[in-house]
Amino acid sequence: MSEKKRHKVFIEGAISPAFIADSIAMHSTKTNIGAHAIFLGQVRNDMIDGKRVREIDYSAYVEMAEEKMHEIREMVFGKFKITCMHIHHSLGVVKTGEISLFVFVSSEHRAGAFDACRWIVDEIKAEVPIWGKEIFEDETYSWKANSK
Amino acid sequence: MTIQVKLFGNLVDVTGTANMQLKNIADTDSLLRKMFSDFPQLAGHTFIVAVERKISTENQVLNEGDVVAFLPPFAGG
Repeated sequence: MSEKKRHKVFIEGAISPAFIADSIAMHSTKTNIGAHAIFLGQVRNDMIDGKRVREIDYSAYVEMAEEKMHEIREMVFGKFKITCMHIHHSLGVVKTGEISLFVFVSSEHRAGAFDACRWIVDEIKAEVPIWGKEIFEDETYSWKANSK
Repeated sequence: MTIQVKLFGNLVDVTGTANMQLKNIADTDSLLRKMFSDFPQLAGHTFIVAVERKISTENQVLNEGDVVAFLPPFAGG
């Protein structure tokens, strides 16, 4: 297992395209990498009971979520042949069309990156204590439920 | 003996609180009984309990200072 140190996962507000671009650029020095797989979760303008979602206000049990993310990280390096990985998730308000989840996996060859990326996203959705309050255009809200 | 209780997501709406300190609760079963008694509206809501950030699936003895979290279904991403 590599990379024992804790990584900063949560970002206040939306994850900006510039942050994602910078993350990609920072890998140009890691020339053993041949493949990157990136998953971006974007806030969707769902219609729920006739009301349109305007934004999601994310909250988390941060201490437990960070421990879970660390466990996921440890497992990924055991399960898949990857070089490095980064996970970022928003806290607070993210508007429709903005990015709230950024999973970035790099490997020598594409299979490791693709497989690990999907597995990580599924694990985050199932195992990490994060919640989203879907706020509608009329200021009312409902609590987000994840679909498969 | 004092424990700390944290509630998240829709459970904050259901109970009207996100943090509580409770005294003399011996184990998680006792805590659940007290919570359902104090907040009958919790019935019908899905949640799991974590003691010190670890999910607890059966009755567990609580110790001074333990943080017990009530966690509704996760919805990250």
